[in-house]
Amino acid sequence: MTTLSGAPVANDSTLASGYLHLEGLAKRFGTTQVFSHINAVIAKGEFVTLLGPSGCGKSTLLRSIAGLNRLDEGRIVVDGEEITALPPQQRGVGMVFQHYALFPNMRVTDNVAFGLRMQKVPHEERSRRVDEVLRLVELNVHADKFPHQLSGGQCQRVALARALVVEPRILLMDEPLSALDARIRGHLRQQLRDIQQTLGLTTLFVTHDQEEALVMSDRIFLMHDGHILQQGSAEELYTRPRDYHAAGFMGHYNILLGDQARPLLGEGFDSARVALRPEALYLQPLADGAMGVERPARPGPECPGVIRRCQLLGNIVRYSVECPGVVLSVDTLNRGSRHLLTEGSQVGVVVDLDEVQAFVE
Amino acid sequence: MSQNADLTLSRPGESPLPALRLAWPSPYALVVWGVFTLLALPLLATLGYALASSWGATLLPDGVTLKWFWELWSTPRFQWAFARSLLVTLGALALSLVLVVPVAFLAHTRYPRLDAWMSGLILVPFAVPPVVSSVGLLQLYAGGPLPLVGTPWILMFTYVTIALPFVYRAIANSLRTIDVRSLMEAAQLLGATPFKAFFLVILPNIRVGVQVAVFLSFSFLIGEFVFANMLVGTRFETLQVYLNNMRGSSGHFTSALVITLFLFTLLLTWLGNRQAGHAITKGANP
Repeated sequence: MTTLSGAPVANDSTLASGYLHLEGLAKRFGTTQVFSHINAVIAKGEFVTLLGPSGCGKSTLLRSIAGLNRLDEGRIVVDGEEITALPPQQRGVGMVFQHYALFPNMRVTDNVAFGLRMQKVPHEERSRRVDEVLRLVELNVHADKFPHQLSGGQCQRVALARALVVEPRILLMDEPLSALDARIRGHLRQQLRDIQQTLGLTTLFVTHDQEEALVMSDRIFLMHDGHILQQGSAEELYTRPRDYHAAGFMGHYNILLGDQARPLLGEGFDSARVALRPEALYLQPLADGAMGVERPARPGPECPGVIRRCQLLGNIVRYSVECPGVVLSVDTLNRGSRHLLTEGSQVGVVVDLDEVQAFVE
Repeated sequence: MSQNADLTLSRPGESPLPALRLAWPSPYALVVWGVFTLLALPLLATLGYALASSWGATLLPDGVTLKWFWELWSTPRFQWAFARSLLVTLGALALSLVLVVPVAFLAHTRYPRLDAWMSGLILVPFAVPPVVSSVGLLQLYAGGPLPLVGTPWILMFTYVTIALPFVYRAIANSLRTIDVRSLMEAAQLLGATPFKAFFLVILPNIRVGVQVAVFLSFSFLIGEFVFANMLVGTRFETLQVYLNNMRGSSGHFTSALVITLFLFTLLLTWLGNRQAGHAITKGANP
């Protein structure tokens, strides 16, 4: 459904069915190029995430689509209408901000009704639509409260309701969950996705949290240094990163130089860099170990190592294993304390050769 | 031993009372009450004189009356002076708001360097003594293309400059308490023009700051004398100039005038402080 410059190109039928077209977008602040050569076609109802580290240009790109930043180059087309030169209020886009941007002087109802007031929607219809959308975000009981009387999660749901009630053609969300605590974030993440799917809303979501991107998105655009590095489904990005930059941002990949990887992959190996997912590495206890022995389908050579650190991450145990010339991160399932390897244990590390991502440069 | 002594001061079920502490006010309270008394004494004496029917060689006045207040409030010259002071002060404040609110908004949102300039500029009215600046204004506007001396306009414009530091600082501080940029952007994305976004979203959120600035500026502008006397004098007699001109008349009458002016100023200052107090209670969210 999505095409990007520098990424696999979609076929013509996908392009034809596109709803939001971004064509050659570029933006500079002074002499700093924030982003350039941004090309994408996004289908109606698609949930696309712009994922990348801080400063990669993803928020500026989102703001440019909203009309809050002026583009230096390129054009934006929504449903066949070019909106590049239109002011924000005429673009028909809704936006949810990281810090909510609720109007402090207005109650929840008035905040949500603001967009409809601007559209001069009659009072009765306005009340009905506000009530509907507040029920959708489960906030109708808080309709008469002011923003400062609400929790962070509730504020963000008001902000979402305010953006949804005007029935925008595109919904833009700029790190809407990053100011919330982990428990609320998890719940709201699911709620956002459910509402988006219920309404079939074309959505662009900005985040630096790869887990958020993987869980929520139909497509992920991985951004780096003002460019879209790779696009694809969550599964594609996670298991087949295009280069070591992409691998470095997705998951907790071990990125090794060719020489460092050779003891794990064999002498015949000659790529410049290799990315190994922590769960694609297997630990074989050399002494009488307590853990069960798992072997990959296509194992590489066994490389000796010593456990230097053991971190419990709930259902996952993450080991730092010191091998000759490199420290590897290895994830195993937490099968209980009897199976845990202690720090200082001697192990053999084996990689699943089917899961190795090798990069020429 | 001391525990036993405490127990004798308290009833069963009550905590021991710090009897000595209640008996002696703290040194801080003494200082505060001392200063308050020092400041209040002249006012109380003036109030007493304003309420006395006559007070000559006796320790206490001959009688208590409101006739001086009544006489003052029914004097057309006082009413006109009061009206002129109101006109000049309200005009100056309106002009200040019209000039300062957009400047403070732009300095906060688009031109941060302007804020640094304004912060320097608002010190000027404090740096130049009123006598010096009024002499300069007299020389500049006595003749030439803008002969404003003697008209209420020069007083109004001068009062704008005096109120500028208070108005600008109060509004700039109010703008800092809200995320102006995000609020403007959110309003615009919901269909508001920048103008509407400012009036419907930003202005109501800095309303408290504006009100405090207005009340406090009003309370000292209405009592301003030096500029009023030097720039317009009797040609546009304001309240303070009237008070000065009436100093030769009955002391009871001028005392009533002083008390009237004080109570009016007190009321406005109290209103200003009440607004600020509400803003603090509500956590900067009106």
